[in-house]
Amino acid sequence: MKKLIQITLRVNGEEHELLVPPWRTLLEVLREHLGLTGAKRSCQEGQCGTCTVLVDGQAINSCLYLAAEAQGKDILTIEGSGADAAIAQIQKSFVQKGGVQCGFCTPGFVLATRALLTNNPDPNEDDIRDAMVGHLCRCTGYVQIVEAIQDASHQTRDEGGR
Amino acid sequence: MAYLRRLPKFEYLPAQNIAEVCTLLADHGERAELLAGGTDLLLQMRRREISPAYVIGLKGVVELSGVQASEDGGLTIGAMTTMHALLSSSAIRERYGVLAQATAGIGGPELRNVATIGGNIAGALPCADMPPALITLGAKVKLKSRRGERILPVDELYPEFGRTVAQEDELLTAVLLPSVPAVSGGAYLKFHDRQSMDMTTIGVSAVVTLDADGRAFRDVKIALASSAPVPMRARRAESVLRGLPYTAKALEKAASAVCDEADPRSSWRASRDFRLELLHGLTQRAIRRAWDNAVHTAKDVS
Repeated sequence: MKKLIQITLRVNGEEHELLVPPWRTLLEVLREHLGLTGAKRSCQEGQCGTCTVLVDGQAINSCLYLAAEAQGKDILTIEGSGADAAIAQIQKSFVQKGGVQCGFCTPGFVLATRALLTNNPDPNEDDIRDAMVGHLCRCTGYVQIVEAIQDASHQTRDEGGR
Repeated sequence: MAYLRRLPKFEYLPAQNIAEVCTLLADHGERAELLAGGTDLLLQMRRREISPAYVIGLKGVVELSGVQASEDGGLTIGAMTTMHALLSSSAIRERYGVLAQATAGIGGPELRNVATIGGNIAGALPCADMPPALITLGAKVKLKSRRGERILPVDELYPEFGRTVAQEDELLTAVLLPSVPAVSGGAYLKFHDRQSMDMTTIGVSAVVTLDADGRAFRDVKIALASSAPVPMRARRAESVLRGLPYTAKALEKAASAVCDEADPRSSWRASRDFRLELLHGLTQRAIRRAWDNAVHTAKDVS
């Protein structure tokens, strides 16, 4: 039962051949095998959203997802934001609107925002709060985060219209 | 601390198709767990409530996902259909609103993107939101093994806490929704602490069918979450209401019947008494909303 399995993970556009125990979660492999520490380990039960990454464009909790299950899928973490214009804009909006304080929850919020704006480019406040229900922030009180997401949606749409 | 733990060790057996799952279950059934969305299973494993020797991965079994029209006018939902995919189906949203409501209230997008209908049913948790909704819709499930296939009402799936009647070698492959009468409507209401993100303290699902005049209950189905050791159908309340005209008194009677037959437990989340209070209120509200929805759809039809 100790046997390692070979998996290929495509993270931020780069393929990684890995030998991992099957009981490793995607979060553990990202952080401990690949050194990508943007996704955070916190509640470990899908309550806090700090481990959020995108798998084939969908936001998921990487603490509740086996690395082996991510084989062959496209994984985007916050470290991949450099190549993603939408994420760059979301990050800018979070900074400008004061949606970042200690920063621990921010990668999760930013990636969840990316997924939200892909499905719904013009969310109202209820849509935003519904989409962020799985994310906890202990600093901001959420108001600035909602404003940041609204700002990101306006900026992104303006860009697209040009 | 328990919640910081890694998963216990296991051998991972990813399956590609239903036949392969059935073979793996026949070989390892007793020592294996099926991994669907994982949002319950991986938690239970991390807490060491279960430590299976084998974990059979279902995410690669494409033939287990999807929503399809069935010949009898109903729908067939693959067991690995995610909650997100379910909510993306206009057929579910328009004709099976009670299931859509129950599904939309589960977790946030990150959970609904992976959690599945099959997992919510087979997990057999009393706080699961989908089984009560499915019971009130008269849904059935298909169980498959190398020995054959059988179809069971969701209503008959739960013999005791945390268990279904499925055998160790059986795989839940699909959920079968019957066609719905045009003069019916449903509602699922629940109480929980943190919006969408907490376990259900009390959930009430109601589906009502109007009589010909649209004044009385021709048929009523009521089922409850977190009100007994298993997802529970409130048969006594249903029979109290059947045939009665739609009045505040009738709803009150049904709510009292529900509280008589329910058997909620006290936990850190809520006391038994508080849960009974909730049941009394939510039952009436759910029936009222189901009635309004039925009147609404009946108007659309006529």
